[in-house]
Amino acid sequence: MRYDNRELRERLAAEYILGTLPNRSRRRFERLIAEDPALATVVAHWADRLAPLDTAAPPEEPPARVWRAVEARTTLRAAPAAVAHRWPASLAFWRGLAVAACSAAAALIVYITVSHPLGGPPAPTVVAVLADQSGDPDWIAIAGPQHGEVSVSAVRAQAEDPRHSFELWAIAGGAPRPLGLLRPQSGSAVVISAARLPPPGEVLAVSLEPPDGSPTGLPTGPVLSQGKVLLTSP
Amino acid sequence: MKRLENRSGFGSPVQLEQLVRRTSRGDASAFANLYRQSAPKLFGIALRIVGNRDEAEEILQESFVAVWQRAGDYDAERGSAAGWLVTIVRHCAIDHLRRRARRPEGHRAPDELLASLASGDQGGDRSAELDALRRCLGELDEQPRRAVLLAYLYGFTREEIAAALATPIGTVKSWLRRGTERLKRCLDT
Repeated sequence: MRYDNRELRERLAAEYILGTLPNRSRRRFERLIAEDPALATVVAHWADRLAPLDTAAPPEEPPARVWRAVEARTTLRAAPAAVAHRWPASLAFWRGLAVAACSAAAALIVYITVSHPLGGPPAPTVVAVLADQSGDPDWIAIAGPQHGEVSVSAVRAQAEDPRHSFELWAIAGGAPRPLGLLRPQSGSAVVISAARLPPPGEVLAVSLEPPDGSPTGLPTGPVLSQGKVLLTSP
Repeated sequence: MKRLENRSGFGSPVQLEQLVRRTSRGDASAFANLYRQSAPKLFGIALRIVGNRDEAEEILQESFVAVWQRAGDYDAERGSAAGWLVTIVRHCAIDHLRRRARRPEGHRAPDELLASLASGDQGGDRSAELDALRRCLGELDEQPRRAVLLAYLYGFTREEIAAALATPIGTVKSWLRRGTERLKRCLDT
């Protein structure tokens, strides 16, 4: 399929916002959005066009336990134990899947993580070096190009295989959190927000995953490389 | 296309954007404020799609964890913060629906819902944007309009729309394609 066709881009953007793209097309489209700011804008326009229909859903105050659970999982100010038992066991299973799904939707667009090649002579500020089991560096995370961003790229080209992808994880307190797919070509960086990195001393890791990334929100394949975060903000 | 000035049920767009920006820097109080300002509206949207409070709570929780993790990816140049939040919640809700075999019963017919928007009995603001969208939806033929509304309001898949409207899936695809093309022409002029 040719994604540079204007009508096709409009149609896919409209169906993405309507929610009628089949799952596989939807994930593929989300990856295109992440690499194409112009497409991200087309999608955002469709979101705003149909937004008035949201008035059909009357606002409703959610119970306080929702915020307590969010807080426990993010800013860690609430006591997690108080929240953990509130959800039926069957939902705990769904939650793991939903993290991946919902995060993918958030990665959207727009909203976007731009990927572009590294370049320019200034000495980089090293945020982390991810090495394989024998200690050879595979990936490097450096500050920039913009303030508050971190670029992650392969130090040496990684084995490309359409059946696999390289997924980056933040591992803080032993819990992995997906940060996105990396590019195996040497020097081709993926830019992520520095705010998403774990704090210094915690770990970044890369695992081998299916082409679309881990379907569960947790690493499913072998961890190939890892390294400690040296600093989060330059 | 002009930017929406406001979305009923959310805080002011500029304030919402600032809260997302501060959240991306790890500002926990901004994140809490963002939740307070948008959670009721987003909970309502999730409820409409999944029709079940427990599941809507799960979706809201997942969505805000994603917002915390991904706030740095939001770019105000490309769309409203409210649009970003709604897109996250709707897709999260759609993921939930597609993971289970049965969809909720007893949702209102889309035409009825649209008509109720017209009469304002949903308590929603009768914004100019809603009037324009309703007028443009009114220009579509009845079946394509229903297809668009079933998808957006209730997260119906193409297959579910085909079953609900007793029509082949190929027809649904072309209704959605032509329906959205026509909506765009109507709304953008």
